[in-house]
Amino acid sequence: MPPSLLQRRLHFVVGKGGVGKTTIAAALALLLVRRGRRTLAVEMDAVGRLPTLLGGRGVGYVPTEVAPGLHVLGLDGRAALEEYLGLIIPVKRLLATVFSSKLYQYFVAAAPGLKELMTVGKIWYEATREEAGRPCWDAIVVDAPATGHSLQYLRMPQAAREAFGAGLVQREATKITGLLRDRQTTAVHIVTLAEETPVTETLETRTQLVEALGLPLGFVIANRVHRRRFSPAVLERLHAATASPAAERALLACVAERATEESGWASINEAHLGRLRAGIGSAPLVELPFLFVEEFDRSCVEQLARLLEAGVAADSHGAARGRARGSS
Amino acid sequence: MTLRELIERHRVVIAAGSGGVGKTTVAASIALWGALGADSLGLEMLGDAERKIPLEGLAAEGVPPRGSLVALMLDQKGAWDALVERHAPPEARARILANPFYQHLSQTFAGSHEYMAIEQLCLLVESGRYDLIVVDTPPTRHALDFLEAPRRIGDFLDRKIIRWFLRPYFSAGWSALRAMNRTAGFLLRRLEQATGVSALAEISDFFSSMSELFENFQSRVDRAHEVLRGRETAFVLVSGPEEQVLGDADYLSTKMAELRMPLKGVVLNRVHREFRPRGGRGLGGDDVGPEDAERVAQVVARAVGGSGREARELAENFIAYQALARGESLRIEQFRVGLPRGVPVVQVPNFARDIHDLASLAAMHAYLFGTARAAA
Repeated sequence: MPPSLLQRRLHFVVGKGGVGKTTIAAALALLLVRRGRRTLAVEMDAVGRLPTLLGGRGVGYVPTEVAPGLHVLGLDGRAALEEYLGLIIPVKRLLATVFSSKLYQYFVAAAPGLKELMTVGKIWYEATREEAGRPCWDAIVVDAPATGHSLQYLRMPQAAREAFGAGLVQREATKITGLLRDRQTTAVHIVTLAEETPVTETLETRTQLVEALGLPLGFVIANRVHRRRFSPAVLERLHAATASPAAERALLACVAERATEESGWASINEAHLGRLRAGIGSAPLVELPFLFVEEFDRSCVEQLARLLEAGVAADSHGAARGRARGSS
Repeated sequence: MTLRELIERHRVVIAAGSGGVGKTTVAASIALWGALGADSLGLEMLGDAERKIPLEGLAAEGVPPRGSLVALMLDQKGAWDALVERHAPPEARARILANPFYQHLSQTFAGSHEYMAIEQLCLLVESGRYDLIVVDTPPTRHALDFLEAPRRIGDFLDRKIIRWFLRPYFSAGWSALRAMNRTAGFLLRRLEQATGVSALAEISDFFSSMSELFENFQSRVDRAHEVLRGRETAFVLVSGPEEQVLGDADYLSTKMAELRMPLKGVVLNRVHREFRPRGGRGLGGDDVGPEDAERVAQVVARAVGGSGREARELAENFIAYQALARGESLRIEQFRVGLPRGVPVVQVPNFARDIHDLASLAAMHAYLFGTARAAA
């Protein structure tokens, strides 16, 4: 039996654009740090927000400590590839010339997926790196690019293993694929919204991850779930309250409008959570509430980390599936 | 200018923005607006089927369409293949299509999908078949791949470089290259050994098979730029009111100005409205916030009667939305300051429903254009 999901070392957070993937990756990293794990948070988008959310600024290609036990790393395919080639061709002066040449750019473009492979390769390197006989990181959380692009990355090692002729790259790709598929080490979490298109895409992504790529699925996290329901009878009474003074009437109309809006979203969310639950098999579903805040800042990420932890605990007790009820 | 005038004065409307903001919905709603007045084409960036959207259902709801609406999904891979079919010598076609470099270029080279979409767009504009063409761009994070595609692919397929690949020593193999430049030859061979790809031979083969096509490539890139920068084309930025999304939008707007493809309209989608009693004294002037929760609860309790719990929940919910809306309106105000002068900005509220039929697309018109088409 593989270790529980939070105990694994390598966490990929994937999801469609705009569902809060980066925020959830940040929350997951905070949760792991709070559990005393030495954690590395990896941003794969050059202009991603993950470092900022975790309190870092201008993070580069070397892990930087942003809080006790928490490092962040910005990954960039080109830098990863150059680093790798630097290992093979240890003549620094010559390499600089090669990298700046147009010919090299064609080479990178022509070697299918090499950049992607090297990016995942760098993550593999960090996941297996040891210091003084023990792993350097207890946990690595990767904020992957939007789904389609993520799959391209995760598919790459396998594709490379099949496509590249025998050689260094093929050997590396085999090692990387092994790690990604290892249920002891890796979990791929999908973040989604409980709405029509995101749920449909999540179910497709799940099939891709599990069936086509053989990767271990982690949590399915439904973000920004609305829960409040107001009975039609109450709304009726609100609308009918015409005896109130004029100033209050406008307010009451607005209170009724917001109540209708919230109820509307709650029923949309509930319907799509049903679809999601039915479609994800045995994967644990964690629900996180919509946060009503003026400004989304670090304290919100911390709040989500707590809610995520509660949701995960609820799931592991097999009770009501991952119901993270939170104040909002 | 209003968004409505903007749409009326342009033949090509391109919706840009980051993923998850409802760009497709807004593009579809604009296309439908066009179709209700004239012939309109909604363009998606995937697939290839041209499909006529039946509008009869709307007539029943009192919105008689005057034009027609066609949806077309652009298939970029197909477009590349079509390009090869059109321009490559027949005997070279199969070789090109099987060339790994070609496959990579047509499938994954950043911007090549977008470029092919723009080529197809140019053909559609030139065909003159439609009064209005609405393009839904792919959900790239900054949508910049799309705008930069012509320049990027133009750079990539630079004639000078290509000619270099066409020199005989490239296809002749490494020994010749080494003779030319020992160091370069050595390094490139190491690269190929390390990665296990015979990339350069493939590139060379690709370019020699395609040389005819790339001869006039620059003029095609120029043509694409003309369409994107033309007076008949309007970029409409679609964004949401969240901090990060507005940040992306701000960045995009700056970049577009740099690329000389300035945005001409902004749609802020899924906005929460703030309650502001105009001059109302009842609840502390014109701002209602968390500090008013108790008083709101009292007002609600008086109105609905029953247990106090219900009233408190209603008030809490109202205050929660109020906080959300206040943050949004502050950010939107700030965002507008950074926009070019005279760019129309419209706000569409956050409907509590999934929008996927014509009637709900038509319902957006009131917010986008200030009026429904039926009344126009």
